Amino acid sequence: MKRSARALAALLVSGLALTACSSSGSGGSSDESGAPAASALDQASGVTTVEFWHSMTGKNAEALTALVNQFNAAHQGKIEVKPLFQGTYDDLIAKYKASVQQKATPAVVQVYDIGTRFMIDSKQTVPAQAFADKDGLSLDDLQANIRNYYSVGGKLQSMPFNSSMPLLYLNDDAFKEAGLDPAKPPTTLAELGDMAKKLTKKDDSGKTVRYGFGAAIYGWFVEQLLAENGALYCDAENGRSGKAGKVAFDSAKGAEIVQWWADLVKGGYAANTGRQTPDAQAAFKAGTVAMHLESTGVLRGYTEAAKFTVGTAPFPKTAADDQGGPIIGGASLWISGPGHSDAQKRASWEFEKFLTSPEQQAAWHTGTGYFPVNSKALEVPADKEWLGKFPQFQTAIDQLKATKPTTATAGCLLGVMPQARKGVETAIEQTIAGTKTAQQALADAAKELQPAIESYNSSVG
Amino acid sequence: MPTASSPPEPRRRFGEHGLAWAFLLPSVVVFALFIIYPLGRTFYLSAHANDLFGAPSKYVGMKHYTDLLSSADFRTTLVTTALFVLFTVVPGVLGALLLVLLMEGRIRGVRFLRSAFALPFAFSVASASVVFSVFYNPASGVLNGLLSHVGLGPVGWLTDSQYALISIAVSTIWMNLGYNVLVLSAGIGSIPGEVLEAARLDGASGLRLARSITVPMLGPSLFFLVVISTVNALQSFGQIHILTKGGPDGSTRTLVYSVYEKAFAYGSSDFGTASAQAVVLMVVVLCCTAVQFGVLERKVHYA
Repeated sequence: MKRSARALAALLVSGLALTACSSSGSGGSSDESGAPAASALDQASGVTTVEFWHSMTGKNAEALTALVNQFNAAHQGKIEVKPLFQGTYDDLIAKYKASVQQKATPAVVQVYDIGTRFMIDSKQTVPAQAFADKDGLSLDDLQANIRNYYSVGGKLQSMPFNSSMPLLYLNDDAFKEAGLDPAKPPTTLAELGDMAKKLTKKDDSGKTVRYGFGAAIYGWFVEQLLAENGALYCDAENGRSGKAGKVAFDSAKGAEIVQWWADLVKGGYAANTGRQTPDAQAAFKAGTVAMHLESTGVLRGYTEAAKFTVGTAPFPKTAADDQGGPIIGGASLWISGPGHSDAQKRASWEFEKFLTSPEQQAAWHTGTGYFPVNSKALEVPADKEWLGKFPQFQTAIDQLKATKPTTATAGCLLGVMPQARKGVETAIEQTIAGTKTAQQALADAAKELQPAIESYNSSVG
Repeated sequence: MPTASSPPEPRRRFGEHGLAWAFLLPSVVVFALFIIYPLGRTFYLSAHANDLFGAPSKYVGMKHYTDLLSSADFRTTLVTTALFVLFTVVPGVLGALLLVLLMEGRIRGVRFLRSAFALPFAFSVASASVVFSVFYNPASGVLNGLLSHVGLGPVGWLTDSQYALISIAVSTIWMNLGYNVLVLSAGIGSIPGEVLEAARLDGASGLRLARSITVPMLGPSLFFLVVISTVNALQSFGQIHILTKGGPDGSTRTLVYSVYEKAFAYGSSDFGTASAQAVVLMVVVLCCTAVQFGVLERKVHYA
C-alpha cells in the first residue's frame, strides 16, 4: 500500500514537473547539464520538500538530525528536508533500486563509497560538478583525496559527506605490559605480526587471554592494504580510465596479505571474530585484542567505552617500500535528476552545500569521528579545541594529508564492488580454514565474480 | 409454499451463491493479491534477465534453472539446507517430547516448569539471535568462558565452518522448543483420562506407558510438529542473518538465505536467479510436505 501511495505521489510530482517544464519555456533554468540555477528556487511557490535517504545510526544519526534541523530552520517556509533512515548501506541500495523502478526516487540519497559506479550507471542523478559549474563555485576546499575518490573524468559526481579512513588501533596499556612502546607502533604487516606474537598473552592453563591482533573479516581492509602497496584492485586503472572488466586482487600481493592474516589466526596470535564488525569491536573494547583495524568513524565510541588508553597509528603498509596510501571510505550524497522539479534539485544542492561547509563539517567531525570533507573545517576553533582534547584523531588527519591522490588510492570503481568485497571475505575464510591456499582462494573468488561483472557491464551497455 | 423436499427456487439459489461469494470475497482478494499474484510474478521473474535496478529485461527461458543445476555453490546450498532441517527438526521434536513426558511424572512445580519450557515461544527470532550471538562470541562469549574452566580451547562457534551450522541449529531448536512443548502439552492433555487409567490398571507405567499409550496417542500432535518444523526450518532466515550472514565460507547459507543474497544483499539485484531459487524452494517444501503426508500420516493414529 505504501509503495503504491509513493508511486502515486511520484506520478503527481512528475506530472507537476512536466507541466512546470512546459510552462516555463522562457524562464527555463535547467540546461543539458541537468543543474538548475538558483532562480529555480525563487520561482517555486510554497515549501519545496527534499526527501533525504540515509543510513546513519546512533551518535551519527543524532549529529545528522541536528544538522538537518539547523538547515530547515534557516530555510523555513522555503525548503524542508525530510530525513528518512533506510537501514544499512546495502539495504538502502536495495530500496533505491526499487524506487527507480517505481519512478519515485528520493531527492537526495546517501550511498556508500563502493556504490559510486552503480550510481553513475543508474543515470538517475545530476553530478555535483554540474551545480558547481552553474554557480561558478570552486570545489578546491574539498579535501583532495576525497574529491579524487568521487570524481570521474575530473568531474565531481557526488558530494562527499561522511568520509572515513582505516586506522590501526592500539591498546596502549597492553603495549606497556608487554614491554613495547605504543609510540612506536608497527608500520608494516611483518612488524605487526612480530608484535602480535609479543602481545599475545596466555594464562597458566595455556588459554589465550589476549590476542595480539584482531579485526573483522572485512574485505575493505584488503582493499586498503593493496592501495597502501600502490596496487590496483581492478583493471582499466581501477575503473577510472574506463569500465573495469576484471578484478586484480588475485595477485601475488593479494595472496601475501590474505596468507599473512590467516597465518596469524592459525598461529593463535589473532582472534577470528568472523565477518561481523560489532564482534571484532567488542573484542578490542574488552581488551582481548591488542591491535585492531577499524575505521576512524568508531574512534569516539572507543575512547568512551574502553577501560584502557586507546592509541591510534597509521594503517600498516604491506612492506617498508610501499608507495601508496589508504583509500577513502564512507559515503557521499547524490542528487536525483529524472522525476524531480528544478526547485527540488536546487534545494537538494543547497542542502549539500550546507552540509559540507566548514562549520557544519566541524560539527560533523567532532560529533561522529568522520573525517571533515572540507579542509577548512579543521580551522574552525571548535574543531581545533576538540583535536587538542583527542590527539588520537590527529593520526587520521596526518595520514590523509600524507596520501598522494593516485589511481590506486582513489580506489576501484566497479559496478559489482560489494560482491567483489564479499568474494575476498570468503577467500580469507577459506584460507583460515585451510581448505584452500590464499592464491587459490583469491583466484577462485575472481573467477566466480567474472560473470557478475560481465552481466553488470552488459546491462549498463 | 414448497415443501422441504422440493428443490429451492433458482432465484434463491443465486441469492445464496451471491451471499457465499460476498463472504468469500475478502479472503479471495487477499489470497489473490498476496499469494497468487506474487507466485505468478516469481515464475515470470525466474524466466527473465534483470536490468541494473532488478527490473525484468529480456526473456531467458529456463536459463536461470539450468545455471542453478550446474552450479556447485547451489548444490552446497541444498545440502546445507537439508542438514539444517535434519539438525533442527529431529532434536527439536524429540527434545520437546522428552520434556513433556518427563513432566508427566509427578514432579513438584510442574506448572512452573511447563511455563518455563514454553517461554522461548515468547521470544522473537531477532532478540533470541542477539542473545545467542553473545553466548557464541569467540573472544568474550559465555560458552568459551565455560569451556576454558574445564580446560578446553576456544571454539569458533560461528566462525568455524565445522560448527557454525550446528550452532545456528541449536539456537533454532531453543527458539522452537516453546512452541513444540505447548503443542505436545496440549496433546497430552487431550488424551482421554480413561485410556490412561485403563492402561495403569493393566499395570503399565513409566516407559511402557509412554511407549504404548502416550506417544501413539500423541501421533497427530507429533505429525503436526514434524510438518510445521520442517517448513519452518526450510524458511528460517532471521537467525542466519543475525548470527552468520550465511558464512563462514557459505557454510550456513540455506536456500532462503541464498534467495536473499541474490536478490538484495551486497548490492546485488539478481531477481531472476533469486526467483528461480525461490521456485526450487517451493518445490522442496511441497515435496517434503507431500512425502510427510503420504508416508508419516499413515502411521498416525487419530483418536
